Amino acid sequence: MNPETQKVWNQGSAKANAAYQGLRRNVTINPITRLEGHGKIDIFLNDSGNVDRAYLQVPELRGFEVFSLGRPAEDMPQITSRICGVCPTAHHMASTKALDDLYQVEPTSAGKKIRELVYNAFTLEDHALHVFVLGGPDFIVGPDAPAAERNIVGVIGKVGLEAGKKVISMRRRVREITSYFGGKVVHPVLGLPGGVSKALKVEDLPRFKELAKEGIEFAEWTLGVFKAIVLANPDYVKLITSDAYTHKTCYMGTVDANNKVNFYDGMTRVVDCNGKEVCKFTAKQYRDFIAEHTEPWSYMKFTYLKNRGWKGFTEGADSSIYSVGPLARLNAADGMATPKAQAAYEEFFKTLGGKPVHHTLANHWARVIEMIYAAERMEQLINDPEITSTDVRRVPTATPKEGMGIIEAPRGTLFHHYQTDANGLITMANMVVATGNNAARIAMSVDRAAKGLIKDGNVTEGLLNKVEMAFRAYDPCLGCATHTLPGHMPLIAKIYDPQRQLVQELIQG
Amino acid sequence: MQTETSDKILLLGLGNDILTDDAVGLLIARQLRGEFAGDPRIVIHETQEMGLALLDFITGYREVVLVDAVQTCAASPGTLHELDADGLKNLTGRTPHFLGVGETLALGRKLGLAVPEHVRIFAIEVADAHTLGTNLSPVVQNALPAILERIRATLRGLSR
Repeated sequence: MNPETQKVWNQGSAKANAAYQGLRRNVTINPITRLEGHGKIDIFLNDSGNVDRAYLQVPELRGFEVFSLGRPAEDMPQITSRICGVCPTAHHMASTKALDDLYQVEPTSAGKKIRELVYNAFTLEDHALHVFVLGGPDFIVGPDAPAAERNIVGVIGKVGLEAGKKVISMRRRVREITSYFGGKVVHPVLGLPGGVSKALKVEDLPRFKELAKEGIEFAEWTLGVFKAIVLANPDYVKLITSDAYTHKTCYMGTVDANNKVNFYDGMTRVVDCNGKEVCKFTAKQYRDFIAEHTEPWSYMKFTYLKNRGWKGFTEGADSSIYSVGPLARLNAADGMATPKAQAAYEEFFKTLGGKPVHHTLANHWARVIEMIYAAERMEQLINDPEITSTDVRRVPTATPKEGMGIIEAPRGTLFHHYQTDANGLITMANMVVATGNNAARIAMSVDRAAKGLIKDGNVTEGLLNKVEMAFRAYDPCLGCATHTLPGHMPLIAKIYDPQRQLVQELIQG
Repeated sequence: MQTETSDKILLLGLGNDILTDDAVGLLIARQLRGEFAGDPRIVIHETQEMGLALLDFITGYREVVLVDAVQTCAASPGTLHELDADGLKNLTGRTPHFLGVGETLALGRKLGLAVPEHVRIFAIEVADAHTLGTNLSPVVQNALPAILERIRATLRGLSR
């Protein structure tokens, strides 16, 4: 980094830290609040001992824009994929698409297909990880099971050793696709403006065909497990459809020309809480439709629908709050583009009472349906004669200025936006990540869960469990901390009386 | 899947190389890799992966040493915490990388993989792991020589 940039960065960083410290001091009563990286929930009670408001605080990355300034735009797919070890491919693709736009170059057809193939393989793997290792154990092992058992080991205890073997094996084999094209799984070097860096050799087709076939079997098996354990249990279904986990907001997701779910490309569509289309836009137009709201109690930015204006954390027909991710994508689309996923999609809405579904915990089911789509789409692409074409890149010639890219990350819509000088050096970089798109609804979920579990000053047993479930269904990317095995972010709830005095503290590590 | 165990000792540095102090585990692995290049019993790797992916790295070794950043805020930055896999439960703090080592090992054992018999963890208390940057904070940078010396001595002891 050049010294000037470093100076600006240091100043910005110092300011941000000071502001953060200042903010934090207001609520620091006990040294334990200093535990950074914990999810922290502040719960404020009113005079009757009921919840006035609950807030979730999570760690967030700082300094992205300053870090990017002055760097060559071509480095951005590598830099952004290094931000997070969990969704590197999502950042890599969003960034690559922003470069297509920046250099005004349309990728070749084969280049696009290879990108989409790799992207679906990544989504299948990431979703499987969430279902079996991160959020899914809440259900597979049981919402009331001790936190120490709600993990992959507990899943194996319930589903059988075979489950563990299948998950590990599928994960490794799907990653072969990423490393075949991208060299590395964590920091793939695949996307270039105008296409990709490597073609698929004809002789390698059979093993990828086999993998796609196994991927479909694996995804269907997962749906079977989900149905047998979750849907067959009336208590679970009651929990999923309970008011505590239900919010009537808008939903956003990317769709193809037929309004079917697509993870890689298309138009981004938003529907309201009745399922009616509110808007549909391209990456280039995202700022005309999305705006960000800040709150004094959080350093997160809450996105909302610009044309509706910020109306607070409210739900209903006029709400400007939207959600992204598996459930949102299914709600925002008219269906799935592949047959097995379409059948699962229809069953989903039929079982849960029609479109749209507003139950946050239904994200887990929606995620399994998306696994089927990802595997089926892989099979379609791998059987496309053009997939082995060597025409994988169109070299750009235009002078760069500004580029935007949108991708459906596993956890929801992801925007990348860059501006450069004529030499392609970054002068502005912005990202809106899935967790930011979901932030307002996550805040509502946490508030609702706390309100339902604290009555007249009495805190219900398992408060943290239930609150954690409320936000974990979104698979939030909170400074990566939620993605460790067993997928539990250490969580602290602090409960304050109307005089803002700390009256109770609950910790779950 | 690997079910055979070698007598070699693995040191695995974890972290993110563009998140300021979060890179400390990677930097230590890089430094020690050069120093132990002539020792046939010591294998040194670094990775930015976490959770389940650790299984890919640690299977096949009897003895594994993990080096990572942690933020408990109960100790001053630059402090070196030394733990075993069980000890992690007592380390209330954040690391995105090895919180689940115990579960990872349990999973590996259940699957019949050759997971290590011993896992030793060096967790370095850091000041900032949330700001994008490629330099350590001064306090961690200053503590680095002593930390390196401690880990170096451990590796020498294991390799004997």
